Amino acid sequence: MPEIRLVNLTKRYGAIEVLHGINLEIKPEEFTVLVGPSGCGKSTTLRMIAGLESVSGGEIFIDGRPVSRLEPKGRDLAMVFQDYALYPHMDVARNISFALRLQKRPKDEIARKVREVADLVGLTDYLSRKPGELSGGQRQRVAMARALAKDSSIFLFDEPLSNLDAKLRGQMRAELALMSQRVRKNMIYVTHDQIEAMTLADQIVVMHNGHIQQQGTPEELFKKPATKFVAGFIGSPPMNFLNGELVDENGEKFIVGEGFKILLPDDQTKNQLPTNRRVILGIRPSDLHFDPHAPENASLNLKVRVSEYIGAQSVLLCDCMSSSVTVELKSETPVALGGTLRFGLRTEALHLFDQVTEQTI
Amino acid sequence: MLDKHPNPAFYPLLAALIFMAVGPIVLMLANSFKLDVDIISGTSGLIFLPTIQNYETALCDILWYKPDHLDFCQLKFGGSFINSIIIALISTVLTLVLGAMAAYALVRFRFLGRDTASLTTLLVRMVPPAVLLVPVFGLWNNDFCIGKNTSFGEFLRNIFGGRGDVCLEGTHSGIILIYVAMNLPFVIWILQSFILQVPRSLEEAAKVDGAGTFQVFFKIVLPLIQPGIAAAAIFTFRIAWNEYLLASALADRDTKTVPILLVNNVSEFNIEWGVIMATGMLLAIPPIIFTLFASRQIITGMTAGAVKG
Repeated sequence: MPEIRLVNLTKRYGAIEVLHGINLEIKPEEFTVLVGPSGCGKSTTLRMIAGLESVSGGEIFIDGRPVSRLEPKGRDLAMVFQDYALYPHMDVARNISFALRLQKRPKDEIARKVREVADLVGLTDYLSRKPGELSGGQRQRVAMARALAKDSSIFLFDEPLSNLDAKLRGQMRAELALMSQRVRKNMIYVTHDQIEAMTLADQIVVMHNGHIQQQGTPEELFKKPATKFVAGFIGSPPMNFLNGELVDENGEKFIVGEGFKILLPDDQTKNQLPTNRRVILGIRPSDLHFDPHAPENASLNLKVRVSEYIGAQSVLLCDCMSSSVTVELKSETPVALGGTLRFGLRTEALHLFDQVTEQTI
Repeated sequence: MLDKHPNPAFYPLLAALIFMAVGPIVLMLANSFKLDVDIISGTSGLIFLPTIQNYETALCDILWYKPDHLDFCQLKFGGSFINSIIIALISTVLTLVLGAMAAYALVRFRFLGRDTASLTTLLVRMVPPAVLLVPVFGLWNNDFCIGKNTSFGEFLRNIFGGRGDVCLEGTHSGIILIYVAMNLPFVIWILQSFILQVPRSLEEAAKVDGAGTFQVFFKIVLPLIQPGIAAAAIFTFRIAWNEYLLASALADRDTKTVPILLVNNVSEFNIEWGVIMATGMLLAIPPIIFTLFASRQIITGMTAGAVKG
């Protein structure tokens, strides 16, 4: 199982630099997800690892071997494409066996491998069909089977689920998670969907504007986001941000902003914060709860505008003076639309970011 | 909604179109079974005593018996027919192979002067063949020759005989070369649009699967542009098969094609209408067979190769 290392990887299209020196280490047998909004460079990074895009600067090492000048065939990897990229003129069996046939493996070995892989993804009955005769989910499976058949140690996925409808996507996501446990390989998965990232990844790499914002386990990213961008990207519904100022009153630290004044908990690190600093307060929607009796310095007064009922949970879109705040509540909580209500918050779960650098304080 | 009762003018129009399309062929077929006397008298129309005499005259060099009405077999239809087949088939195959590869390169590879090359191919096609005739005749006769004193020229002379330098003029290769040059721009142009429709991700998938550039081209791209190849094949074959002007200048007695043979029946003393009609009918058969065969490829290609799902 190889280790993949990206050192100072850069990509330029003409004068425009789209990747600014990516440094990343991917350990063997790890499921790494590159996640970020469109145009953040995640797909470009993946395609450079695959050898489909040229490398403008830096180097890619697979098992310590520099590969950035090699053709894709020299890199020993398999890839699943967003549009599946099935060969329309070949039936499923020939699609799956294409790589093996190129390697001129013996016929019986190819037949055995095709059967084995088709069994794994549940395609045994469809081997003689053409891709045009299959449904979206089945095509997705063929693409997966084709990658599996190659026996490569590195698996690349380029937004493989984005062409499926919501229900099928959930189902395939679960199957993918199952498959990744069964075949322990080095997997790199690109998506813009943070739920896919959270559910599948051992390691998430959040990218933005050609930079890596943060990498870590899903839990690390959720609990300790390094920047405001990561905090806003990971988690659904997204985190609320309120502008405020850090002030010191009689040895106690408060965040003061438009319509709120919140006491920060006694915490060693937070006590060392410099005062009178412009900060952004980050609150996850799930860290707010309806409580009319919450103390003033651990609550927000919010005017409820819209309530979105989504089953067990409801999402409230509220106003806190001029900023908007979302709250996630149990649906049975009685909430009157249009009224101003008090919501208590878990002060230990607050996030603070610098207003200028947007880094976590 | 589909109108079940079309305009009454529809049927006469349809009949007129069918008459215009089929009429000349029926006339040619009918006349090919008539004697020249019957054709010229013009009285008989469709009522006449059919004869295969014209076909016997046309095919005299490949018949197993000697037709009674001929003293001497003047027409070498068999030989010309084989020349035509050789020239049309080889030039079509060459044009398609070169054209497909050139089109692929022009579409997919980035290289200096790509756009210029792409545009020039089309401009070259705008030059009328008649303009090419004189310079090509000169070049084939005088420049593209292997001297009779060189060892290779001597070797060729020993095999094929003859005197003077070995030149392109009068050879199959000479005619094939000019046909390939003439049809290549058109084929490149038509195939470019087909190659553009092959999704790039298919080629990338093949590359990741371990295919080299040539394998990507032959195993992925070529099967997917099969309808385009078939359409281009019909056009190039038809042009190469029917071409008269260049072949008449560049062919010699042994390499002349059927269209030239056909025109040879017109002399200053006599126009042998019957033989011309019979030869014309025979001339029409191979392109029909070729088109039927190739158009089936277009249809299967369209249904099986549905690139997008």
